[in-house]
Amino acid sequence: MNTFKKLTLVMTALVMILAVDLFADDVASDLMKKAHLNMFYAEDDGLAEVNMSIVNSSGKERIREFAMLRLDNEEGGEQKYYTYFRKPHDVARLTFMVHKNPVDTDQRWLYVPAVDLVKRISADDKGSSFVGSDFSYEDVSGRHWSEDNHKIVEEKEYNGKQVYVIESVPKAEDGIFGKKHTYIDKETMLPIREEYYDDKGELERIFTAEKIEVIEDVPTVTVRKMENVQKEQHTIVEFSSIDYNVGVDNDIFTERFLKNPPRKYIK
Amino acid sequence: MNAVKMTLIATILALILVTVTASADDVYISGFLQGLYGGGLHDDNPVPSDLTASETRLQMKLESYRGSAEFFGRLDFYYDGYNESEYDWELREGYIKFRMGAFDFKIGRQVLTWGTGDLIFINDNFAKDYQSFFIGRDDQYLKAPQDALRAAWYSPLGALDVVWTPKFTPNRVPTGLRLSYYNPLVGDIVGGEQFYMEGREPETEFKNSELSARLKRYFGTADIALYFYKGFYKNPEGMDMATMEAYYPELFVYGASMRMPIFEGIFWVEGGYSDSRDDPDGDITTIPNSEIAGLAGFERQVANNLTANIQYQAIYMVDYDKFEENVGGQTEVDEVYHLLTSRITQLLRMETVVLSGFVFYSPSQEDVYFRFSADYKYNDALTLTLGGNIFDGTEKWTDFGTFMKNDNLYFKATYGF
Repeated sequence: MNTFKKLTLVMTALVMILAVDLFADDVASDLMKKAHLNMFYAEDDGLAEVNMSIVNSSGKERIREFAMLRLDNEEGGEQKYYTYFRKPHDVARLTFMVHKNPVDTDQRWLYVPAVDLVKRISADDKGSSFVGSDFSYEDVSGRHWSEDNHKIVEEKEYNGKQVYVIESVPKAEDGIFGKKHTYIDKETMLPIREEYYDDKGELERIFTAEKIEVIEDVPTVTVRKMENVQKEQHTIVEFSSIDYNVGVDNDIFTERFLKNPPRKYIK
Repeated sequence: MNAVKMTLIATILALILVTVTASADDVYISGFLQGLYGGGLHDDNPVPSDLTASETRLQMKLESYRGSAEFFGRLDFYYDGYNESEYDWELREGYIKFRMGAFDFKIGRQVLTWGTGDLIFINDNFAKDYQSFFIGRDDQYLKAPQDALRAAWYSPLGALDVVWTPKFTPNRVPTGLRLSYYNPLVGDIVGGEQFYMEGREPETEFKNSELSARLKRYFGTADIALYFYKGFYKNPEGMDMATMEAYYPELFVYGASMRMPIFEGIFWVEGGYSDSRDDPDGDITTIPNSEIAGLAGFERQVANNLTANIQYQAIYMVDYDKFEENVGGQTEVDEVYHLLTSRITQLLRMETVVLSGFVFYSPSQEDVYFRFSADYKYNDALTLTLGGNIFDGTEKWTDFGTFMKNDNLYFKATYGF
């Protein structure tokens, strides 16, 4: 075999390996996309009452209660969130609005009715805790699948369900996690378990879907738990009064309604 | 207020509460109980007592909704060991809010805020309560309530807000009873009954009502606003030489602001022209001159759960030459006033501990005001706070130097329900 032939062969092999690998990545990425859309972009919009229980390492519990309104402007793309806090007393009546933009920076507003203050908040804190819980801002609205490289590491049975286990590694180091394992239920295509490893490869947090209910034909994770195994604390989030396709208007996600909660949806 | 009156009011309020609760499906009652105790750090502060605060406060909130209409009341009952009246109450907010097409109305007693500055204000000429601010009351007390009619029109041009306050509502400022201040007539920091200073308010007439307007709209991610204010200086900055009374001179303000997300943070800029209507040419010494003010600020998260901002403000006196001439050519007041501020907020232990510091420093007046607090949220209901206010300056007449004897530390416990 001459050198040229050798080279061609090696090249072809390389391209094939690369293609297979790319294809595998494509499949994994596709699964992550599906799971993300099912989890965070269900239907066109959604309304829910949220009860958050934050339990620290000594077992002390704190409660956060809020109503949440969501509108998808584009499936997997721009999305808007409106949050109306009910409890505890020091945040009651506060409203919080997010214009989520997966390809650009999010925009955030907070309205403090006691002083009639509309505050714009910087949004470069995806890893920061959401209202003191074990969920980060990013966990609440989901991490876009395009931010990580994915591969399927396993297909197995977990809690009586057939799952894909997908490993995700951030494309750009952002300090949020080193790698993540996501268990996607083959039946509902929902992420039912996530294991977050820190930069040192140590297990840091575990997300579990504690309860899945079919609401208006949509399989929905209605009880979500995030456990921080390093800090020995956890947060349980329960969604109730869920309603999809309520027909919420884009105008709701403006300063006008930030200051005047839409009582049609939020009593 | 005597006990009979108090009982009467309490009974009436209880009756209203019961009636409203019984007649509406959606009535929510909440509130908090709070104790605030503070002491001054200077023995030579010329005020009657070295306690800056000794009060117990019960705040009741009542809210109800019908369709898009909203009724809201916030009522404070308090025992203020400082005041002679001791028991007192104040309606902090009490309004009706409703929507009519592209219009939103808010009518009644309310707190109002606009503009972009963090604790510095150019176009926000709504009433403030600096006394509360300086002694450790909650942030919500920085804003004094106003009886006003607010109408917002969401037009294609942007959101137009018009606020009409029939009766002029001044700021609440230290009067010498609780906190001392520099009195130019005495030439020193004064306090006590004999120096109790209250400005003469404009007569309650239609022509003396306050009007504030703002036109605001978004251009991409930037929000831009234009402002107008017709009213009076909110502090008694004028001196009527005939009666030797401090009073509130007439003021118009025209301004604009812009705010946008940039460099992973929020940037804001605001400017305004304060037109001193009683002294248009700046030749009356006892009335403030017209000014042009500007501020710029930037805030971002510097680490997880740590937010910091920085602001710069400049105020240019329009008729400085005349001012200099009037005071006989000798003055320590600069043509341009500079102010730098910074706020740092750190959240710890899953946001149950909040450490906060805010500093005002003016290089032109060489004075400083530092406020800090540490909140510990024992649980969802109970919050314990330790905080302080420190003033200093090389001169006694400056904005913060005037309060240099009022340094204080306070402790606060709040139980919410």
